[in-house]
Amino acid sequence: MLRRDENRLLAAMLAAFAVGVMMLRVFDPATSGIFPPCPVRYLTGWYCPGCGSLRAIHQLLHGNLRAAWAMNPLTVVLLPFLTYGLASSALFEIRGHGLPQPFLRAVWIRALCAAIILFGIARNLPLHPFHLLAPGTMLHL
Amino acid sequence: MFCTQCGANNADTAAICAQCGRNLQAVTPAVPSQATGVILPPGTTVQNYLVFAILATVFCCLPAGIPAIVYAAQVNGKLQAGDLAGAQMASKNAKMWCLISLGVGLGVVALYALLIMVGVLSGLHQNR
Repeated sequence: MLRRDENRLLAAMLAAFAVGVMMLRVFDPATSGIFPPCPVRYLTGWYCPGCGSLRAIHQLLHGNLRAAWAMNPLTVVLLPFLTYGLASSALFEIRGHGLPQPFLRAVWIRALCAAIILFGIARNLPLHPFHLLAPGTMLHL
Repeated sequence: MFCTQCGANNADTAAICAQCGRNLQAVTPAVPSQATGVILPPGTTVQNYLVFAILATVFCCLPAGIPAIVYAAQVNGKLQAGDLAGAQMASKNAKMWCLISLGVGLGVVALYALLIMVGVLSGLHQNR
């Protein structure tokens, strides 16, 4: 019984994921209002490390790597790894074992965490090389 | 000591291989882990939820995603040190912060949907 509920939950999550990807392909978060704004940006006025990630994925789904990079380079860099990790988790739930994954030493995970935070700070700085990291700025080069 | 699976050279006190994550203590049971004295069964892994922690940080809500990543790092750090109980504790915390992130993210989406509906309804009202 429990197993069946888990299967339903998994199927629902996969379906929600597919719907989300399709909506991101059809609607551009930059122009349509159906995606909520980033709460951090809304409340504080600052860009968070994830600001522009939905717009970046929308551009990627249309094959525009350059526009995606301008929206959020961090997302473009991380997305292949995240996709692999998600696929591994989904396969683990479906067939009991995931994809091969290297063991990451803690220091690398901490470095990644620091990189995400520094990226978030840098894109808010009104100084020349850093402000290019704010969503969309590189489109106007 | 050299890993029996991939051959990488590890510190003699290492509980698991830094290269492939194989449990080194179980291969040489004569040297139990210093931290806990527990010998990890071979192939022991503890879920660190790193992928979900990063997803939470980048797509949901920054403040709750960061502790999830910190705990994910702690899971692997404790595994490296042979502290299985500590790693499982950190794993629980990482999962909790991922769920908090997810909850906050879904809350924001629900609130936004509600605001849009209110906006649409008041728009209809004004047009009448």
